[in-house]
Amino acid sequence: MHVNYWREINRSGFGRAGLALLFIITALAAVAPLLVRHSPGDYTGHIFHPPSALFWLGTNDVGQDIWAHLLYGARTSLAVAFGVSVLSVSLSVLAGGLAALCGGRADRLIMRMVDVLIIIPPVIVIILAAAYLRPDLLLLIALLAAIMWPGGARVVRAQALSLKGRMHVEAAGTFGAGRFYLLRRHIIPDMGPVLAAVLIQNARRAVFMEAGLSFLGVSDPSVCSWGKMMQHALKFSYLEVWKWWLLPAGAALSLTMAGLMYTGYALESALNPRIKREAGNVKD
Amino acid sequence: MLRIEGLRVAYGGMDVISGLDLTLGRGEALSVIGESGAGKTTLGLSVVGLVEGRCSGKIMIKDMNILEAPGEVRRKLRGKTVAMVFQNVENSLHPLYTVRDQVAESIMAHGEKSRGAALARAVEILGATGLPDRWAGAYPHQLSGGQKQRALIALALANDPEVVILDEPTASLDVATKREIISLIKGLTGDKTTIMITHDISTAASFSGRLAVMYAGGIVEEGLAGDVLASPRHPYTRGLLRSYPDMFTTKDLQGIPGRAAPGVPGCPFHPRCTQRIAVCEKEKPVPAVSGGRLLACHRGGIAPLLVVEGLSKRFDSVRAVDGVNLTLYEGETLALVGESGSGKTTLAKLIMGIHRADSGAVTLEGERLADVRRAGFHRRVQMIFQNPGESISHRMNVLEAVREPLDIQGVGDAKERTSIVKKALNEVELSGDEDFLRKHPHLLSGGEAQRVAIARALVLNPKVLIADEPTSALDASVQAKILRLLLSLQEARGLAIILITHDIALARKVSDRMAVMLEGRIVEEGLTSAVINSPGHQYTKSLVGTSSE
Repeated sequence: MHVNYWREINRSGFGRAGLALLFIITALAAVAPLLVRHSPGDYTGHIFHPPSALFWLGTNDVGQDIWAHLLYGARTSLAVAFGVSVLSVSLSVLAGGLAALCGGRADRLIMRMVDVLIIIPPVIVIILAAAYLRPDLLLLIALLAAIMWPGGARVVRAQALSLKGRMHVEAAGTFGAGRFYLLRRHIIPDMGPVLAAVLIQNARRAVFMEAGLSFLGVSDPSVCSWGKMMQHALKFSYLEVWKWWLLPAGAALSLTMAGLMYTGYALESALNPRIKREAGNVKD
Repeated sequence: MLRIEGLRVAYGGMDVISGLDLTLGRGEALSVIGESGAGKTTLGLSVVGLVEGRCSGKIMIKDMNILEAPGEVRRKLRGKTVAMVFQNVENSLHPLYTVRDQVAESIMAHGEKSRGAALARAVEILGATGLPDRWAGAYPHQLSGGQKQRALIALALANDPEVVILDEPTASLDVATKREIISLIKGLTGDKTTIMITHDISTAASFSGRLAVMYAGGIVEEGLAGDVLASPRHPYTRGLLRSYPDMFTTKDLQGIPGRAAPGVPGCPFHPRCTQRIAVCEKEKPVPAVSGGRLLACHRGGIAPLLVVEGLSKRFDSVRAVDGVNLTLYEGETLALVGESGSGKTTLAKLIMGIHRADSGAVTLEGERLADVRRAGFHRRVQMIFQNPGESISHRMNVLEAVREPLDIQGVGDAKERTSIVKKALNEVELSGDEDFLRKHPHLLSGGEAQRVAIARALVLNPKVLIADEPTSALDASVQAKILRLLLSLQEARGLAIILITHDIALARKVSDRMAVMLEGRIVEEGLTSAVINSPGHQYTKSLVGTSSE
């Protein structure tokens, strides 16, 4: 059960490709200020300038550097991916873990709450909430996490229920350990593979939803976002700007999601013996 | 007839007998048992007035305090009213006179004038003790050990005394002779007040109706011999019985920790007692009668630690545990036997609080553990699980695993915890070096892993250990080591163990009492030897039957 995630992912081509993509995107986002001549908000003096040595991806309708927008958009996407996945998985662990450990009435209460939250259509709720609250980035992360944790909570509860009956968990209980201790020291460590899978899946969904929401106009106006770029670019599609405005944003979004998906797939196939075997058979 | 009140005897300022009370009527016989040095012989010598130390208190024989009587009066009493059979057979007879002469001398010393009559009477008495005429004229060196013992008894009984003290009359005799001598003494002293001093429990058991257990100059327990031997209530008596081999007890011999030391303040047994409390170190317990038994113990004898009353648990329609009553006493092993599925493990988990009972109560040292588990429960009750490999988290190394209970209970700081862990590992005969502490469970053998699990259960210093099939995953030699380890811990700390097992042969060797479980109920409970030798319930019979095939 001791999993070396790094090694497991690196074993398959998918895993290596996914990690490479994520690494490149993260590196670009991290050093973004060094790679751009103009801040995303700056007016460069040129409107609809086609790509050139000066503006690698040209400029937009208000004379801003699209390359800078692309890089800073990556920052937003990754921040949302990271924030939402960590926050939602934490909530899942807390809710699912406590439901499993407490059992009885608490279990029923938490899980019915999960059922209710799962049937609510997320996009509508967020658009409504955004209309009221005018979301900044942190609020958006919180909203996305709030609608994403119930799915994970189900997975965590199922896993925790089976781990709860393990002898070493029962033994720790006989030393007088409380629920949070059991969760922290015995149950969460053994749920690593499951949590990793949920974490990556949530990150992927968060990136996609953030892009979608900002495409629909639900976003902080001061923050760059790939979704927002695509929305603006579409308005000027008659000018053929889509080649350097719409396409790069779409490609960046696709590559990020592909990176997350490949990594997640590689991890899952390494940890799930059945998939592992099937993958092995195909290779033969 | 004989009444001893507050007897104290001191040699050189050290109390050998400290405040002893005893009353015996005419025709009553009492056996006194105890380790050597307990003051048994001194008690006998003081009754015959031969003790050399400083005496105080009262020894009343026929309304006369012989401790205050002048020397001449005491000399007259000795042999006539009170007689003693001395311990050392070889040295108690004069080598230059025939035994007949020696007995006659004693008769003449107490008033018989005619030598011929005295000799005739001596022969008669020697005959009664089983030395026929032809041996009466023999010198001591011509007699066998048993014959010398008979001569000594004749010597003591020569003047028909009313009180007879027998000091180890059978110590050096073989079993057959011992039995003859005992039945001889019983026959000859039926109308007398007899005190038999012995360290041999089987002699005591066959000799008298009453039994007194002496420790460090005082009587710690006294009662009907059969009762005391079957269910000792003073921890010292139990220790003594456990050290003594007999033909019925099936559990291995165990000893008593430490050794007797003179001049102990408070209860004299407290340094060796595993159930001592604060008051034991300060005050000497006053002997009190309870349930037909005289007991000198602040705790009222061996204390019940864990009491289970009417415990029940259903899983859907299955009655896993159905109204179970159990009592676990301090320092004993209770074996819970039965086939798999009989509810043994569920019962253990109910006690530990892993499952919640539907009804019933568990009491620990008089405190009720109702629905809320009181803080401190887990420090006093611990469990060892069936499969050591699984009961230790695969993520923890030995140090982390054994330290976990201390971490959870917040005992000491990091350094103290490590030293407690090393001590516990040492106790279970495991190494405490850095290499071993860093090992993960999958690198340990089955025996090692179970020892680690035992060490982990012991770090909190519990009084009760529930061991659920602790050795079923181990091979026989490792099993033997683990069980010996548990028994030695029991001896040293007074650990009370509930041993859950399906192996009757195993339970027979390590348990004091046995409870047989069937379909969630306890169908039979009793001393292990009794349950095994004469099972009452049909199910027990078949269990014992299949085990002895």
